[in-house]
Amino acid sequence: MTYLLTADHDELRAMVRELAEERIAPRAAEIDEKQEFPWDLKELLAQQDLLGTCFEDRHGGTALDTIAQCILVEEIARADATTSLIPIVQKLGALPILLCGTEEQKDRYLPRLASGEWLIAFALTEAAAGSDVAANRMRATRVGDGYVLDGSKRFITHGSVADLLTVFALTDAEAGGRKGMSAFIVETATPGFDAPRVEHKMGIRGSPTAELTFDRVEVPLDNRLGEEGEGFRIAMATLDRSRLGIAAQAVGIAQGALDAALAYAADRRQFGQRVVDFQGIQWTLADMASQTEAARQLTYAAAARVDAQAHDLPYWTSSAKLVAGDVAMKVTTDAVQVLGGYGYIAEYPVERMMRDAKITQLYEGTQQIQRLIVARQLLQRAGVSTKG
Amino acid sequence: MKIVVCIKQVPATGADKRYTDDLRLDRSGVEAIINPLDEYAIEQALRLIDEGTVESVTYLSMGPDQAAEALRRALAMGGDDAVLITDPALAGADEWATAKVLAAALDRLAPDVALMGMASDDARGSLVPGAVAAMRDVPLLSYGAELALSDGQARVRRLSPTGYDWIAAPLPVVASVTDQVGEPRYASLKGIMAAKRKPMETWSLADVGLSSEDLRGGALTRVTDSRAPEAKPPTERIENLPAPEAAAKIADWLAARKLI
Amino acid sequence: MSNDILFLAEFTSGAPARSAIELATGAAELAAQSGGDAVALAYGPGAASGAASLGAHGAARAILLGDEDRPAITYAPAAVAAARDGGLALLAPATPNGRDLAAALVGLLDLPAFGPVRAARVAEGVLETEQATLQGSVITTSRPVEGTPAPAVVLVLANTFTPGDGGSGTAEVVEAATAAESALAKASVAESHEAEAKVVNLEEATVIVAGGRGVGGEEGFGPLRDLAKALGGAVGASRAAADAGWIPYQLQIGQTGKVVKPSLYIGAGISGAIQHRVGMQTAEHVVAINKDPDAPIGEFADLFVVADLFQIVPALTEEIRRRKGA
Repeated sequence: MTYLLTADHDELRAMVRELAEERIAPRAAEIDEKQEFPWDLKELLAQQDLLGTCFEDRHGGTALDTIAQCILVEEIARADATTSLIPIVQKLGALPILLCGTEEQKDRYLPRLASGEWLIAFALTEAAAGSDVAANRMRATRVGDGYVLDGSKRFITHGSVADLLTVFALTDAEAGGRKGMSAFIVETATPGFDAPRVEHKMGIRGSPTAELTFDRVEVPLDNRLGEEGEGFRIAMATLDRSRLGIAAQAVGIAQGALDAALAYAADRRQFGQRVVDFQGIQWTLADMASQTEAARQLTYAAAARVDAQAHDLPYWTSSAKLVAGDVAMKVTTDAVQVLGGYGYIAEYPVERMMRDAKITQLYEGTQQIQRLIVARQLLQRAGVSTKG
Repeated sequence: MKIVVCIKQVPATGADKRYTDDLRLDRSGVEAIINPLDEYAIEQALRLIDEGTVESVTYLSMGPDQAAEALRRALAMGGDDAVLITDPALAGADEWATAKVLAAALDRLAPDVALMGMASDDARGSLVPGAVAAMRDVPLLSYGAELALSDGQARVRRLSPTGYDWIAAPLPVVASVTDQVGEPRYASLKGIMAAKRKPMETWSLADVGLSSEDLRGGALTRVTDSRAPEAKPPTERIENLPAPEAAAKIADWLAARKLI
Repeated sequence: MSNDILFLAEFTSGAPARSAIELATGAAELAAQSGGDAVALAYGPGAASGAASLGAHGAARAILLGDEDRPAITYAPAAVAAARDGGLALLAPATPNGRDLAAALVGLLDLPAFGPVRAARVAEGVLETEQATLQGSVITTSRPVEGTPAPAVVLVLANTFTPGDGGSGTAEVVEAATAAESALAKASVAESHEAEAKVVNLEEATVIVAGGRGVGGEEGFGPLRDLAKALGGAVGASRAAADAGWIPYQLQIGQTGKVVKPSLYIGAGISGAIQHRVGMQTAEHVVAINKDPDAPIGEFADLFVVADLFQIVPALTEEIRRRKGA
């Protein structure tokens, strides 16, 4: 199947790029240095209707296609990876509701997410359950007309600034993670919830990565998503789609680094000529550009398949995230190299971009997990049986 | 109350610009934007809508078909509808001809305020607002840092070297505003999407009751020659000198040119 | 058609504005070429008693449009009545008031108009103007199209014509013909507010010391003020400095600010982006001080000093004071 980039896509890209260059890029260094969540930029994105692109019209969103949503993330990430997480995580947190919520649950929560009035986060990971999602231990005990949640989560992006969470916990501990996990919508104002600490990280430092504690948090019955035991499936279905946001983020980070490296090389003179006139530098830049473009096009191809509800969706989204994440790491590292000593210091943005890029190889499924997913799909297609 | 905002599409500032062989501005192949100074007029009009003083804002532009893009961008910021006046006879129109066409169109649209930016980026003459007011025989309130409307009257706040004045005139008026109005808003995504559905009409010269004879060929002046400016000597540089020495060299340079 | 050269002469607070004197000089030059007279259209407070003095700068006659303190545009009907008598050209200052009056004349009489010109002359009985366009990269020569009404309106920036010491002549003052009714006369000042401090009119300054982002703050303008004072000039700024509130908006030079034409422009801590450049590129001598050796301003400055402005500017001020004192 093919995909088409339309004039509407170009228009969206131009609109977001203007915003990113004028208002987001100038804040990027400060956000990284102060490790502060950019509330002002969140307000800006909300005002510009850019936090509602994955929600339907009837909930106050703009229902853009998935390629457009990727373009939005890409253009913001090109200016600042931290800020690009705002639309990314808004979608990530909301996907369980979008995929499995009842109409009533959607009507109750989605409008405030689409308008950006509320932020939502996705609370799956635990200290002892990262790649091994099924090792989750947090409990949701059925009590009267609802559930009581007990346990903690770790590495939850925006967990400390979100108004709403989609939380995964065991309703049937004996059945284990795969069959006994359920999904819930939890309002963070609920008593017993806390976000006691955030991590100090290598990159995306303005984005709070929080530890969350649930101490007898009460959740009504009609805040459960889907049936009991469906939690694992919901989580996987969510990640199959949300990882495209990370692919787009990685593409954006790579593009930003490429642009910075090119501008520097065109300006800097050594040995009597511009650095960009050295063939070796041109080759490096060419590799950076073609790899970034390849990652971009693969991301769009995967996005088109998401919209087409392709049956082999995970093959595409995992491939995109795998390739894009590795490209972002390579391109940002090369960018630092092109800038030489200046690439290492904070006066230039590429060192931040390189630190930011690393996370795209780690979260929403490490590159190793992505490889497992791609391999499984590959074997399935080829009719080769998979063990266990 | 109703406002018509006149906007112009211009080549982006800093874009490579040339004259064609017949000594007209070559506008082909250059990125086109809303004249930056018109964005302040748009912003002022939209603020008056936000306040509830004004019910409708229409955008009016005269230009080639491509000028419809500028009108869509304006509609994406806000406002209700747009009119594009386009006609082959208008190619190369000067400020007088532009004013004549806009005046005729404005008489048809009959707004309470015809609002414009203070000048156009590429030609910089800034005569259009005054000429339009004169041709329509309505008061001119120009160079406003702010526009205010009340019962039957418009006022602009105009800055001066000694402070500011509020200048008033009875409606309808022609008004122009400066960048002191404040930052123009970005078009939101919903604004961009809604703009596609807002009505835009295209009018020809005949639709505003004018013929190409009325415009005397579109311009009252003509360029008879164009040339490169006199070659300037290359920039002299002073660098890597301690401040007192550098200062002495600068002073010598100034003295040599009898500037001190 | 008469060969007279008309010009707008604005009077404020009882005296002719600097533009009135400059245009008188320019009109007299052109009148010498056309074989006609330089004729002032005088308006504003003090015009009645002061119009005759324009003769000292070359005006043969002065038509008195009015003596009241009211918005300049309200004098348009009277100016139209005066201009209708004919003339080869009408010079108007490229100030807001001048542009408005020029525009009204264009609109009411269908006159050809020339945007700010760098030179004007009468050649073989025809007005010819030179303009710098496309950021100064092209100089065009223009004329009115044959058969268009006269006079042709010519916008003139400050410092284009340089008044001499002034002669001893007086201009013959006549009352303007009755003006037709016009809605343009309906604008009036509803409220007037004086600022605490009077801000210099940058457009008339012959020396400007301008500061940009590199100045870093309100206090940073101190050294620039000292330098301006030592040079007998005024302080200006780029949009970045004005937007940041470091100096009043009226001192902003550029696309959305003032267009200035000083003999000497010194830009300190200004990068020279196009939006600023269009406001000062016709300055006769441009000196730039910036610690960035690749700043765009270095490309069109006459003298580019790559240094920290906070070191150079005070040193230069001292050097100039020393030389002037000596």
